[in-house]
Amino acid sequence: LPFPRVPALSAARVPLSAGWLPALQFVRRGSKAVTRHWKAMHFQRQKLMAVTEYLAPRPAVPPRCLARRRETLEEDNGYAQLLRRQVEEVFRDNRMIAICQFNSMPGEDVVLMRHYLRKHNIEVKFVLNEIVRPVLSQSKYKNLLPLFVARNILLVSREAKAKEMLRVLRGVPQINLLGACIDDTILSKQGVENFAKLPLLETVQGQTVGALTLLPSQTSSLLQRGSAHLTALLDQHIHRLQAGETGSPAEPAPAQSSGAQ
Amino acid sequence: KKMASKIRVVLRPVKSIVVRFCPFESNVESTRKFLGCINHKKIQATNRNCEVTADVRHDGSEPLVDVMFADGERLIMKGANLTTIEMLTALGSRCNAKELKEEQKSKKSP
Repeated sequence: LPFPRVPALSAARVPLSAGWLPALQFVRRGSKAVTRHWKAMHFQRQKLMAVTEYLAPRPAVPPRCLARRRETLEEDNGYAQLLRRQVEEVFRDNRMIAICQFNSMPGEDVVLMRHYLRKHNIEVKFVLNEIVRPVLSQSKYKNLLPLFVARNILLVSREAKAKEMLRVLRGVPQINLLGACIDDTILSKQGVENFAKLPLLETVQGQTVGALTLLPSQTSSLLQRGSAHLTALLDQHIHRLQAGETGSPAEPAPAQSSGAQ
Repeated sequence: KKMASKIRVVLRPVKSIVVRFCPFESNVESTRKFLGCINHKKIQATNRNCEVTADVRHDGSEPLVDVMFADGERLIMKGANLTTIEMLTALGSRCNAKELKEEQKSKKSP
């Protein structure tokens, strides 16, 4: 009860006499009925207000003791659906998708890094975990799920230029490469570094072709080796005979050697 | 409750921090968030010389935070069962203790 002050109003019993007079006559003391300050209620009114105070209805069992009703899932708003579609598109179109942890970086550094990566045709995409996680869990990239915790960015590209990407990322200490998915193969950071160390496809192809043609190129010389050896031996023999018998005619010997060929 | 990014740590007595984790494991969330919070502008501004390195491996090892202080002390926090806030408050309290010690030393010496 507010303000236990002396009420300004008091009721006085007036003795009943001829002529009707109200049983209770209010005597005004001090302030009027309507005041600018809070006026204490008459004691009877105070009692009435106290008795008729509102008591909220409480259930017999508190709701937290009962089993919780499963809340229906809220429908996704269009923005979330759009972002999800974009993520699916990204995973479909690009050959190389690298996932990096993004720690806060000054804005100019971000722009510079984007610029350098754009030169190598690599795009930088900021992603939200709650959108990427459901998309990944339904696609075939389930093993990438544990990577999407805390702030992440995706570096996507149609070509797999791992070496250039690593070079740019080395210059930015606040971005840590976690893993990548190149040509539908999930690689860790070490795997990406190994992949970058591999020589270009054309060089490797050239090396394979060279190794394959090495043996056949030697076949013809291998086959002719026997007869060439024999010719050389016979020539040497002729020379020795000629040197030994200077006077005798050398015709039967060369005729024999040419017949033997 | 308290947000991890609101905790301010003074990194002045710290020489270097190495955060090692394996992102394909499932217990690295708090360590990664710890790394993200440490790299915040305001905390980095307290000590420009402190090097924060992130070591990303794939050998199934535990997430680890290795803090090297300027007076040679080392703090190793294994983040597998710790939350981000716990790690930050632990580091923060140790840094504050060292700051107080240094202040007392500098007051006593002249």
